[in-house]
Amino acid sequence: MKKVININFQGRVIPIEETAYELLKQYTESLRIYFANEDGRNEILNDIESRIAELFSDRLKKGATCITDDDVNAIIANMGRPEDFEAADADLGSQPQSAYSAQSSQQNNSSSQTGQSTVPPQGFYRRGRFSRNADDKIIGGVCSGLANYLGLDPAIMRIVFVLLFGALFWIYILLWIIVPSESMTSNITKRLYRNPDDKVIAGVCGGLASYFDIQAWIPRLIFALPIVLGIVGGSFNAMFWDWDWSFGPRIISSGLGSTLFIVYVVLWIAVPYASTAAQKLEMKGERIDLNSIRDTVKEDLQGFKSRAQNWGNEVKQTAQQYGSQGMQYGAEFGRSAGNARSGVGNVIGIIFKAFFLFIAAIIALALFGVLMGILFGGMAVFPIKDFFLEGFWQNAFAWLSLLLFLGVPIIALITWLVRRIMGVRSQNRYLGYTFSSLWFIGLLCTIFLFSAFFRNFKNRAGVEEQIAITQPANNKLYIESVGATTHYYSDDAFFDWDGDAPFYGLSHDSVMMKNVRVNVVKSKDSLYHLYSVRFSRSNTNSKAKELAQRINFPVTQKDSLIELPRGFAITSKDKFRNQQVMIVVEVPIGKKIQLDRSLEEFDWFNINANRRRGFNVEWDNDDWGNSLGWTSNVEYVMTRDGLTRTNDLDPVELKEGRFKFKIKDNGVQIEGEGTINTDSTQFKKHKGKTKPADEKEDETVSLRPHSGSVSTDVSPLLMLSSYL
Amino acid sequence: MNIENTQSQMRKGILEFCILSIIRRGEAYPSDIVDEMRAANLQILEGTLYPLLTRLKNADMLTYRWVESNSGPPRKYFSLTEKGNTFYQELEATWKELANGVKALTSRQDSLPNSPEQPITN
Repeated sequence: MKKVININFQGRVIPIEETAYELLKQYTESLRIYFANEDGRNEILNDIESRIAELFSDRLKKGATCITDDDVNAIIANMGRPEDFEAADADLGSQPQSAYSAQSSQQNNSSSQTGQSTVPPQGFYRRGRFSRNADDKIIGGVCSGLANYLGLDPAIMRIVFVLLFGALFWIYILLWIIVPSESMTSNITKRLYRNPDDKVIAGVCGGLASYFDIQAWIPRLIFALPIVLGIVGGSFNAMFWDWDWSFGPRIISSGLGSTLFIVYVVLWIAVPYASTAAQKLEMKGERIDLNSIRDTVKEDLQGFKSRAQNWGNEVKQTAQQYGSQGMQYGAEFGRSAGNARSGVGNVIGIIFKAFFLFIAAIIALALFGVLMGILFGGMAVFPIKDFFLEGFWQNAFAWLSLLLFLGVPIIALITWLVRRIMGVRSQNRYLGYTFSSLWFIGLLCTIFLFSAFFRNFKNRAGVEEQIAITQPANNKLYIESVGATTHYYSDDAFFDWDGDAPFYGLSHDSVMMKNVRVNVVKSKDSLYHLYSVRFSRSNTNSKAKELAQRINFPVTQKDSLIELPRGFAITSKDKFRNQQVMIVVEVPIGKKIQLDRSLEEFDWFNINANRRRGFNVEWDNDDWGNSLGWTSNVEYVMTRDGLTRTNDLDPVELKEGRFKFKIKDNGVQIEGEGTINTDSTQFKKHKGKTKPADEKEDETVSLRPHSGSVSTDVSPLLMLSSYL
Repeated sequence: MNIENTQSQMRKGILEFCILSIIRRGEAYPSDIVDEMRAANLQILEGTLYPLLTRLKNADMLTYRWVESNSGPPRKYFSLTEKGNTFYQELEATWKELANGVKALTSRQDSLPNSPEQPITN
């Protein structure tokens, strides 16, 4: 029993079975798509339709009460389907037959063979048992089989499995083991394509829209909105906070926007264009909704019920089946699992392989993570590029390096993954060539960038300046650094450096450097002198000098206290060129100096970039005592031979009962140190190479001659006795 | 290289020529053209004929006339234009050339004069 409806077709009323009408509609729609780009499109369609109408009238005249499925199928077989036109149109072996055309032409073949009677409507397929798909698989064919069973695109199934990797991992393995493998023709009724008829940029949104059966503006809005917001927001930022630098990266790097941007580009590359009519039909496809899935499952459950009734019978079969399945697995996994032949052995083999895949996946993910990390790290470093780079070219190289050298491999990787998941086989090698050459350009840019970057540090120049000071009254000079100890982190700071960073704070347009060093040397006269030497590097000497002069490092004096700033600021206009400030204190012989602990905050480092030594950075941040000749918070006196520590030890050291002494006279130097046992006033520790040359009362002190030997005309060891 | 492709290429090449040669004989209705061709054992799908006719018509090779039909909508009857006629003459000349050439080649049975003495086996 069929429902018959009347339609107005080419100006005639035609009684037609509803199912036949659906077939007709599908057919005309497929023709409409096929001829979409043809010049006389409407005319051709009209001609065909009127011919069909004529055939219908013919049929009705011969006494048929209505047009049936068979009639329509016969007419369609006579007229030919778009896929058949395509076969007639096909260029030599250029297009691989898509799953759709394969399926449809199969139907047509059968129809032309059997006469005209039993052509199933388009999109109809046999819903078989759930089995793994042997023909279309990435790992075990589980996703593909499941998708086939549910009538979904395998790509969706795969994406679900990848997204829920952790949860579905064991399910996948289980299905892999349990479900038999079977070669099956694809029944995909719908695939994701880019839509050439409805495109703004690349047809990605149009394709998505027809895939999900929604209006095209929805995906368009989703993709465009973050970018639009980014641009608008970026310009607002630029206006109100004068952050023109952030305008560029903001659009691309702002979370959602960047993700969608990458998604779009990847889809653009990975998803094929629906260029043939068959692909366009596949793109529109049969509507897949929850109902159709539910129907599938319901149908199968009913089948299951009936099967459960003759369960006893099946147990026997299953047992046999397992045996044969085991053999099957043997064939399938024998290679990977070694010599496993039995069913159990193959289960182990599968698990083995699964773990191998699992580990491979983890490695791939880690690699991916590293690449992403580098990219986003690069983006994070990007704002401070203004401190390093100058001029259009260096900036351009930096951008290109970031996008091409780091970005391209990521895009390539994602593209490869998506294509793999979507089951798209790469038809052309140009994609690979394009990626390789873009990456190569990126590599060149990176090289240029680094060479330009190193050239910025080629020459060093210094500006020396004497700072006038008044002589301290009590013959002792204190030096300390003052200023807020707060780090200049603002909310747009990019790094969370710990205290070891060579600068205090960093914002988008200035950085507080602490590349300062205090050297203490002997004065030529009887006065204290203070000099500041400011260094900078650049690609030319004169530029370096200019930059050095721009360093602002004001030194102030309060009586005997010399106050140095905590650091100096360089702006993004000045650029970072390893600016340094060296403070040289000249101390006259016999006068004292003490350097405050606050000076230890300074960090001194040198960046070298010349032909002979290449590029290197020397840090001088660990042992101040060794490299500078002084320790903080210790009183020194200038002697003829240089800076000498007075025997004032740190209060901390004194408390512990440690002592130290150092005597220099006439080229002989005696140093010693030890610990006083506070209970017995006996020295407990001995240190030194020679046996005591000097003894006082009962204490033993070990002495170590520095140069020469201890001679008799050593002057009295005043310092030692004064301590004791 | 598959045989079907080559065959369809061959057919495609002569399709227009065949159609023009049918229409040359008088006003033709598309399904008559299909019948004529099938009678000559040349397979064609009606669906491929319509676009071809439209293309030829748009290139001024063909013109058509509406004729009322007693079984359905009015029919389009196609006929050759002046231009279509000369086009057909040229195609015919080319076809004769080709046919003769192909015939001459395919009918020869003697072996090539310069072929190596030992036949190559592989």
